[in-house]
Amino acid sequence: MANAITIVGVTKHFQKRSRRNESTTLKSELVRILKGQRKVVEPLHHIEALKGVTLTVPRGSTMGIVGRNGSGKSTLLKLVTGIYTPTSGTIQVTGRISALLELGAGFHPDFTGRENILINGIILGMSRNEVKQRVDSIIEFAELGDFIDEPVRTYSSGMFMRLAFAVATHVDPDILIIDEILSVGDEHFSRKSSAKMNEFRQSGKTILFVTHDLSRIETWCDSAVWIDGGQTRMVGDPRQVVAAYRKAVAAAELEGERTGHSALSAPGLELPQIAVAEPHEAPTSPVHVGEVRLRDGVGAQPSAFSAEGALEVFVELDVRTAAPCDVSVEIATVAGISLFKTHYAAGRLEAGRTTTRLSVPRLGLGDGAHVVTATAWSGELPPHSQSKTLVVAPHPSAVGLVRPEHAWSTEPRLSAAPPAGAPQPVAKA
Amino acid sequence: MVRNLQELYQYRALLWALSMRELRARYRASVLGFLWTFLNPTLSMAVYALVFGVLMASGQPRFPYYLFCGLLPWIFFSSSVLGGTTSVSDRKDLLTKVRFPAQVLPAYVVLTNLINFVLSLPLLFLLGLVFEDYPSWHLVYVVPLLLLQTMFTLAITYLLSALNVAFRDLQHIIANVMQLAFFLTPVLWDLQTVKQFDRLGLTLTAAELQRVILFTNPLAALMAAWRDVFFHHRAPAVEPLLVVAGITTMMLWLSAAVFERRREEFAELV
Repeated sequence: MANAITIVGVTKHFQKRSRRNESTTLKSELVRILKGQRKVVEPLHHIEALKGVTLTVPRGSTMGIVGRNGSGKSTLLKLVTGIYTPTSGTIQVTGRISALLELGAGFHPDFTGRENILINGIILGMSRNEVKQRVDSIIEFAELGDFIDEPVRTYSSGMFMRLAFAVATHVDPDILIIDEILSVGDEHFSRKSSAKMNEFRQSGKTILFVTHDLSRIETWCDSAVWIDGGQTRMVGDPRQVVAAYRKAVAAAELEGERTGHSALSAPGLELPQIAVAEPHEAPTSPVHVGEVRLRDGVGAQPSAFSAEGALEVFVELDVRTAAPCDVSVEIATVAGISLFKTHYAAGRLEAGRTTTRLSVPRLGLGDGAHVVTATAWSGELPPHSQSKTLVVAPHPSAVGLVRPEHAWSTEPRLSAAPPAGAPQPVAKA
Repeated sequence: MVRNLQELYQYRALLWALSMRELRARYRASVLGFLWTFLNPTLSMAVYALVFGVLMASGQPRFPYYLFCGLLPWIFFSSSVLGGTTSVSDRKDLLTKVRFPAQVLPAYVVLTNLINFVLSLPLLFLLGLVFEDYPSWHLVYVVPLLLLQTMFTLAITYLLSALNVAFRDLQHIIANVMQLAFFLTPVLWDLQTVKQFDRLGLTLTAAELQRVILFTNPLAALMAAWRDVFFHHRAPAVEPLLVVAGITTMMLWLSAAVFERRREEFAELV
């Protein structure tokens, strides 16, 4: 399959503003020349927004870009769109490109929605006739009703964005570049714009988009790229890229809590390097997790487990080649907060199916739905996991995530002084 | 240069849509609406006619009409240049949000003013009728003159718009330079009234001085030509206009080169 976008070794430098302000007026330049001063020979201060990015987007595929603020994502999109020119490297784009970087470029507040559709459509690269053909469907999509013939300055911001989005998506490009604008409008319109994006995907358009909505990357994209500090940190399967990105952000936050500053505090800094653990099936793993079964103390499978009762976790292991295996079971909340994790070195297992059992005599968790994840791996090879939902029945007198063994009591009487004969604390030399 | 003009043709729909919108926007929010097209130059003409025709008693017959013949083309030139200088630097919204052909920006400012000029020509003829001056067949010269002045204006505007992105104070300097150029160009005064020059050890007869002005100031040649067509009803002198055409070609080439070289930085600098 041919590539819609081919980016080879692209770097982009920006001059720092502070330097520009020193000699940006003609007056100061003239004064400098008249005084016979040499041009300031201080080294040019550059901001390296991109430090050599190589990337290909196959035709008809959807690629998501993740990364922190200031990591160079938007610069990359502007380079692909042709707004910026790369400092070095080449960008090749095959097909008509439409960029939804910021909506409503060239809207004039004194003109009606209808008039703005025309000019905005032409600015976005449509011909006059193309706009005229699509004007009705644009108006219908924007759902502005009679407001379409009112000046745009009377619009609410939601109406403005809806109109702008409607025009931008009716350009009918081969390649669509989107920068974080899918959250336009209310719930209803946001669903509608998502549907429009899906339509684009299914009709074989190439889409390159930046979003901080990581679940959207996981569900929509054929591939994902993680841009960090102006470089591609990872390219590949969207779930793996998102998982690695999440881990790095979490690690940076943790580091920030410990040291008081982290890569997250300044824009554009790289996130800490961490070993990337692939959460999903890799062909090389010798051991896979089969079915995970949850049982109570008597071997039954209740719809809700008692917090006071026992839990047995049966993890079916599919050992493909004999290898020393490790198994872990983690119980986490639906939001991903880990409550409990335990690890078991199962030793060398022969090829075939086997089952490991984890017994918890007393569950001791708060009520609600939890996620039980069983993971199996061998040595440094990528692990494999399966999850199961565990529902804990509500208890009338307890709230919270965990429910340790506990007892209440009342002392016979309260004493103000320590009882006689109690050992006094002695300072030791 | 040729490629630049080709690209402009390629973006003609955009150029046209922007110009139309600009023309309509200029007058939309005002009570008098499109009448402003006529009111602006008429008011300037009235003031100049009062000062130079009545108070300073110029000997020129039909002075208000005479003035108008030079003032309208001058306004076409000066508002194009003044508006065109900031045309790129003021459109951050377009240049950084979408892939936008920057060369359209100065061009549409010039086109807008060109249309404005053409639309105010009937007013000129109306004023002529008031002074019992009727258009003659010499109006055929309007088309080539318009073409020449448009190209000349375009060349200047391209150069200034590109430079103003890097040097933002250029727009203020240009405002002053235009003021000077207005007085150095025969709009308020007539070439024929120039006296001999005998200062600084330099002696020029009146005829020589006229030639110096005509051949060194392209605007003087253009304004004189407009007057020939509208006021004197005679064919304009060809030689000064050929010089203007030569200068215009060189300027267009230079401006296109500068604009092309700077264009890549526009999105970053605006």
